[in-house]
Parts: sequence; structure tokens; C-alpha cells
Amino acid sequence: MRQLVLITIVILTGFSVGALAANLTIHQQGRKFSSESVTIKAGETLTFVNDDTVPHNIYSASRGNEFNLGSQAPGMSTEVTFTEAGDVQVLCAIHPRMKMAVKITN
Amino acid sequence: MLASHFRRTTLFGVTIATILLGGVAGSAGTSFAAAIVGETHRIETSPKPASGIEAMKSEYRRPDSILFPADNPYSPGKTSLGKKLYFDPRLSSTSAQSCASCHNPGFGWGDGLSVGVGHGMEKLSRRSPTVVNAAWGAIFMWDGRAASLEEQALGPIQSAREMDMPIDRLVDRLNSISSYGSLFESAFPGEGLNPNTLAKAIAAYERTIVSEQAPFDAWVEGDEQAISEQAKRGFVVFNTKGQCSSCHEGWNFTNDGFQDIGLPSADIGRGKYLPDIVKMQHAFKTPGLREITSRAPYMHDGSLVRLEDVIEHYDQGGIDRPSRSDLMKPLGLTSQEKADLVAFLKTLTSNLSPTAVPTLPR
Repeated sequence: MRQLVLITIVILTGFSVGALAANLTIHQQGRKFSSESVTIKAGETLTFVNDDTVPHNIYSASRGNEFNLGSQAPGMSTEVTFTEAGDVQVLCAIHPRMKMAVKITN
Repeated sequence: MLASHFRRTTLFGVTIATILLGGVAGSAGTSFAAAIVGETHRIETSPKPASGIEAMKSEYRRPDSILFPADNPYSPGKTSLGKKLYFDPRLSSTSAQSCASCHNPGFGWGDGLSVGVGHGMEKLSRRSPTVVNAAWGAIFMWDGRAASLEEQALGPIQSAREMDMPIDRLVDRLNSISSYGSLFESAFPGEGLNPNTLAKAIAAYERTIVSEQAPFDAWVEGDEQAISEQAKRGFVVFNTKGQCSSCHEGWNFTNDGFQDIGLPSADIGRGKYLPDIVKMQHAFKTPGLREITSRAPYMHDGSLVRLEDVIEHYDQGGIDRPSRSDLMKPLGLTSQEKADLVAFLKTLTSNLSPTAVPTLPR
């Protein structure tokens, strides 16, 4: 039981550390990312917020940092932690005009 | 040791969160795994205030000029050459099909058929899209496989199912027609005739094919008599209850996005190029709506004959499947609203000026 409580505390603390390390929020409004490019460190997190009126489908096929959020409804927020240093292109599969660059440094 | 433990635990927690919240995230593909997708949760967003009709109209003003890319700027010689190439059937292996065979000015720069007809009069699998307003396109072909108009221009020429013309053979053929050489040299000094300049000339001409002033444009510019009261009501339905403007947005009535609108077709469209993204299966590029009454039948497969059929499809919501756009759901439109929408759509067609077919080099 004590072990379970400890693990729970550790998990919650882990989330907090992650949130503190990544303070960048990317908005998606009017079929646009709020930033065309950002630079973060490997292991840091971006929060993608869909504050638009339509669903988006953010993804990246950049090697080492691939992800796919699937259909993200308006009013939803999702965190993505980038693990590998490098240049990452983030796109919306639904709206091809939406593009942003994420530079991940060590 | 402690840091390592924290990191592993954090990753474990995030992994659990990803699994638990997978349903919220919807359709995360299994082959994307390198970045870590964490929590998804609902946030407070301030609701967008409802727009009045004047604010809606302001989103649809025509642009003042045509967009040409920096690496293929406009020149009269280039577009004149591009027009000859566009209408020249010698760009196909049989010398019987030109670009204009499927993108015909007489049919709003489409072909009026449910699906295109290619080499050997074989039917293709998709409807020939219009080239009207291609200058503003972000991505080309129904499935988005061409990133530029230049790239698009060479696709159907070389496709064995369409014009069936290997590019090297085409360059040789055009070089054998003496005046083409001088036209290319004049349009592209120092470059002459090659696949790159061929694509640039055709694309430059296509960018000059722009929908003309329609009754809708006159209304947007302030002429209240330009369209009927029914069409004005239809415009409001288009932007509100019908949700049409979620995809058919802006003056050209498209955001170039890809959506599965639930048509009963086996064609996976954009899914061929993004196989791990569920929402891209059966997804096709949203077409613009300009010159729409000249361009029946409708949809990527030409399966709907009348505008009324199109409105009915959207009202019902199409086939419910994982890939279907989350925007597609029964709308509950009244018969009056449907008729109003059709009346509005008909105001998007101009009296296109006749297009003179050029005299071709011999």
C-alpha cells in the first residue's frame, strides 16, 4: 500500500516536473499555429491547444520525433514531449497550410 | 539514480495516460511512437461570438491580384506559351488529348463527366477537377500528391493512364516543332525547352485562369440587388447551421483541407500518402465552389448529379466510419434551408468570357 502511494506521488511529481520544464503552448486558431517556429530542449514538452472552431490532426513524420495526435476536437489540449535533438516539422493532416518548425536542442 | 528513476516513472505515467486517454485523442496511429504524447484534456475556451452578415461577407472578398511564386514569376511570353501547350494535344502520346480535354473552359475548366477519360478512352477513377483559381492552391490533386502547380502539370502528361507521354519523348517531340524552340527561348532565356520550363509555362498559364466576377461578388461589394433574398438566406445557412464554411472558406470557397465526407467509395484518397492517420482514409481535398453550376456532376467520384443531391448528402452526414470527418453529422436542414443553400451556390458562377483556342505551332 505504502509502495503504491509512493509510486503515485512520484508519478504526480513527474508530471509536475514535465509541466514546469515545458511552458510553451501552441495554439491552433483560424487554421494557423500560433508560432511558425520554436526552439526547445530534448525532453521538453509543447502543449498543443485546439482553440479553433474545427478539429485538427497534428502530426510529425520527422525521424526520431514522430507522433500523431489523431483528431483533436476544439477545446482540447494535448502535451507532446520531444525526445530527440533535431529539426522537426509539425503539420496538420487535415489543413496542409498549417506548418510549424520545432528545433530540439540537447 | 534518482533522476533516472524519475524519468522512467514519468515516462511510465505518460504512457499510462496515453493509453487511458487514447479514446480522447481519438485515432493516434500505432506507428508514431518517438515523441511522447501525453495528457489530453478539455480546456476552457471563450465561445466565438456569432458573426453578423456583414462580418461574414467580409471573409469572401476577391483578391486584387493573382499570386505567382518567386521561382516562376509572371511574364506575358511565358503564359502565352503555356496556353499553347495547354491546348496542344501533341502533349499526349496519341496526339489526341490535351490538358484542355479534361480541363475544358466550356465546362468551368472541368470536363462535365463523372470521372475523367484517359489514354485509350479508358475511364479514370476520379472526376477531373477544375483548374479555376489554381493560383491560390496550397496542394494539388484530389489526394494532394503534388506539392506545386508545376509538379501537377507534369503528372497527367506522364501518367500511363492519362496522357501516357514519357517526358523525354515529349521534349524531343516539341523540339521537332521548330517554333516551339524559339517560344521557349524567348520565355526562358538561356534555359530553353526542358521538363522544368515546360512545367513552368503550363503552370504560369493555369494561374491566369481565374473565376470572373459573379453575382455573389457584386453583393459582397455592396450591390444588394445582385442576388436574391433566398440566396442571402442561403449564405447565412452556409456559414452557420450548414457548417459549409468550416471547409469551403474564403473567397475561393476552400481551405485546401482533406476530409472524408462519408461517400460510399473504396478509394482511400489521401490515405495512400498518410496511411497511419485514420482521418486521412477516404479523405479528399476540399474543392473550391466557384463556377459550380458549370461543373456538374459533383464530388471526387462524380457520384452526385445535382447541387440538391450534394446538399442532401451533407444533410444526412454520409457513412459513419472511423475516418469520417468529425464535422460530418446530420444537420437537420429544413427543405427551405436546402433550397436557400442551392440558390446561394448558384450565385458563385460568373458569365465566364469565351476562351479563344490558340493557333498551335507547326
